[in-house]
Amino acid sequence: MSGLSLHKKLEKNAGLLIFGILFVSSIGGLVQILPVLFQDSLKTASANTVPYSAVQLQGRDIYIRESCHACHSQQVRPLLAEVKRYGPYSRAGEFVYDRPFMWGSKRTGPDLHRIGGKYSDIWHRIHLIKPRSVVNDSIMPAYPWLEDEPASAAGDIQKKMQVLKTLGHPYSEQEIEAAPSMLDGLTEMDALIAYLQVLGTSAETSEEQGHH
Amino acid sequence: MKEESQQFYHDEVVTRLVQFSLIWAIVAMFVGVYLSAELLWPELDFGQFWLSFGRLRPLHTNGIIFGFGVSALMATAFYTVQRTSHIPLFMPKLAWFCCYAWQIVVLLGGLSLLAGWTSTKEYAELEWPFDIAITILWVCFGVVFFGTIARRKIETIYISNWFFGGLIIVIAMLHIVNNLAIPVSIDKSYSLYAGAQDAVVQWWYGHNAVGFLLTGGFLGMMYYFLPKMSNQPIWSYRLSVVSFWAFTYSYIWAGPHHLHFNSIPEWVQSLAMVMSLILLAPSWASMINGIMTVSKSSVKLHNNPALKFIVLSLAFYGLATFEGPMMSIKSVNVVSHFTDWTVGHVHSGALGWNAMITYGVFYYLVPRLAGRELYSLRLANIHFWLALSGTILYILAMWAAGVSQGLLWMSIDELGQLNYTFNDIMASMKPYYGLRLIAGLVFLSGTILMSFNLFMTIKGKKTVKVKPPTIVKASEVAA
Amino acid sequence: MLIDTLFHPSKIFDELSKENAETMASITRFAILIPLLPPIFSWIGGNQLGWRLGGSEPVFFDTTGSIVFSLFYFIMLCIGFISTVAISKWMAKTYGAKSSLSLHLSIFTVICLPLVVASMAHLYPDVFFNVLILVPALVWSITLLYKGLPIALGISSDQGMLMASSLVGWLLVAAVSLLGICVSLWMNGAMVILGI
Repeated sequence: MSGLSLHKKLEKNAGLLIFGILFVSSIGGLVQILPVLFQDSLKTASANTVPYSAVQLQGRDIYIRESCHACHSQQVRPLLAEVKRYGPYSRAGEFVYDRPFMWGSKRTGPDLHRIGGKYSDIWHRIHLIKPRSVVNDSIMPAYPWLEDEPASAAGDIQKKMQVLKTLGHPYSEQEIEAAPSMLDGLTEMDALIAYLQVLGTSAETSEEQGHH
Repeated sequence: MKEESQQFYHDEVVTRLVQFSLIWAIVAMFVGVYLSAELLWPELDFGQFWLSFGRLRPLHTNGIIFGFGVSALMATAFYTVQRTSHIPLFMPKLAWFCCYAWQIVVLLGGLSLLAGWTSTKEYAELEWPFDIAITILWVCFGVVFFGTIARRKIETIYISNWFFGGLIIVIAMLHIVNNLAIPVSIDKSYSLYAGAQDAVVQWWYGHNAVGFLLTGGFLGMMYYFLPKMSNQPIWSYRLSVVSFWAFTYSYIWAGPHHLHFNSIPEWVQSLAMVMSLILLAPSWASMINGIMTVSKSSVKLHNNPALKFIVLSLAFYGLATFEGPMMSIKSVNVVSHFTDWTVGHVHSGALGWNAMITYGVFYYLVPRLAGRELYSLRLANIHFWLALSGTILYILAMWAAGVSQGLLWMSIDELGQLNYTFNDIMASMKPYYGLRLIAGLVFLSGTILMSFNLFMTIKGKKTVKVKPPTIVKASEVAA
Repeated sequence: MLIDTLFHPSKIFDELSKENAETMASITRFAILIPLLPPIFSWIGGNQLGWRLGGSEPVFFDTTGSIVFSLFYFIMLCIGFISTVAISKWMAKTYGAKSSLSLHLSIFTVICLPLVVASMAHLYPDVFFNVLILVPALVWSITLLYKGLPIALGISSDQGMLMASSLVGWLLVAAVSLLGICVSLWMNGAMVILGI
């Protein structure tokens, strides 16, 4: 009856109860989550994956600001139909520069992980301003305000790159130095489109059909 | 110590928290209805960035979870911990601080979401300044709660307090670990984790926020109020204790089932699936405990909206905790993932379980706090039917939408070509989205009726002053 | 009798509470229609007009496809209907209600009848149209469940309320289980998983 006597102690001692809850609830995290954080293959960039450029990074933060992930996933699952519809399935190594991850949990609209290069910049611009003028039944919101703001308005790009550098993204000092001038003359729309066009372009060509 | 037992319970703060909870319920549910209308008529954002779907959506979820849910949990935790400890709240001023500061954080946090400050992590969208504020307030909540327990006059810590305690401790742990980030500016930070690792940490948080807040926290409500309303001790105290530990142990493993077939290691997915299936046992143990307690009761359900809501909430709790493990099976998840089925599942829990048990508890609590009968029994009975039909319609609409999305996306002909374009499938969702909008409106109108009813009950009344019982048998369990 | 069942259900529930063998026999005769009619309607509609999924062209099943689909629909309804009657009979003991099989069979026949009649909407297989017709019927059936159980089983309205809520819980779990089983079967027959 040791289980019962332990229970008797627990139900009469608040400190023990708190400790018990903390102990029991952290086992799962320690055994399951911690090893994932130390798994090197999940932090190693795949061959073609490079950090986002200043413009793409700014575009990604606009994507985040508008919560595009609420309706668009960025995760092609290794299923025949998904590979047919979207392209090569997603691999962990392609996401190592994604802070935070943008895989999403809902596809009200289609997956965007392999959207890069599928449509022209012009198409994206028209689509973002008037979605229903290019996709008849679309229920996507319009984003007219992206044309009004300069790309530099979406946050201090140098500070961002410095923070990411401390987190291990390989940006050189020159790249950070040159970042503001890269944004010169671009709108938020341009930056967002630059991000969309680079999405998923790091897939290895040998897995075009999804089979490795 | 003697003079302390002469003091009254601190129930004014409970009344205030109930009021805030009701306001958040209406606001956040209205935002939900508006979002569902935007899915039918996308022009409803009128070209305004702050009305855009992406920005409103986290306002809906955070408003429900942190505004409606946490305010209700704080109210009931403060109410029950005093009565199961036979002592007024520890540091009542701190409790008042928690009450008001929490509302300010939710309000400003909500506005910040509209302004586009977001970390995008589901149910943890608020940016770092709010994360810090939430951490501080959560610690204050814990100090009041555990301080009261530490000075209790009853030897045994009652089971409802275990669940509330689990809520406070585990949510603190999840919140801090998941939100670790380096700030860039006041409105922007970069997560300490990247890509696949970030995903695993986020869903360890996301799933267990549902587990320990929306399931465990509300089970805390159930374990106090259900026996109280039924005028019966809980059917099996032993079962409730066993299910508490089994629940706390197994829930935490299940998170990665939100990432089936995603780019994370296979063993993590399989482990999560197995643990999710195991989780059904402790979840249903609490339901059986609750149903058996009411079944033994001789209290009349007729004209007792409080008990009716709680009985119904257990039925939906049974559904949601069955559906969850089922959807974690990979061959089901492959269809349900990314579809509206997930949305339906969340709402069978949120509408059917969380909202309904809270409504039941409020119908019980508010007349007692105000010291007068419920303003209108008729309205409460109408509300019951609105809540039931709204929830069922919602679930059916999303089941139909989700399963057809999942299957049509996968549909391939003999030549291996896709049968349907994404657009055609999306366009075919209109009837279901229409039905969902109606379901939401029905549920929202019920909530508005209840809030009116409860505000009229409280109106002009001071919270009743109650003293702890003076004679207490040491062994008595205050159920 | 059928007309009465649809338009004066409370009268029928009253009659049933007397456990009149004749009434029960005349109602249970209809019981087979409940799992049978909806698949027939959907078979006819699917063959003649094709299922319309929103904006896209109507979908036609080939002959085998439509027969398999209707058969599967029939089996699903059978399982759902019979298991609900069985559970209700089993629960009746807990609530001190009458537990004869033919009584429970008659009660659920009466409760399901509006849904079956509404399933005529399958003849015109447009999803939106079907949703429009079936949803009010569903609301009506659930109302019948809550109102009818205590009358027909001769238990207090409190016990009836508890029992009806438990049955709603069961029906939801049953529905979601069927959904899960169908989806699993479908995926295991029709889909190829790569890699992982």
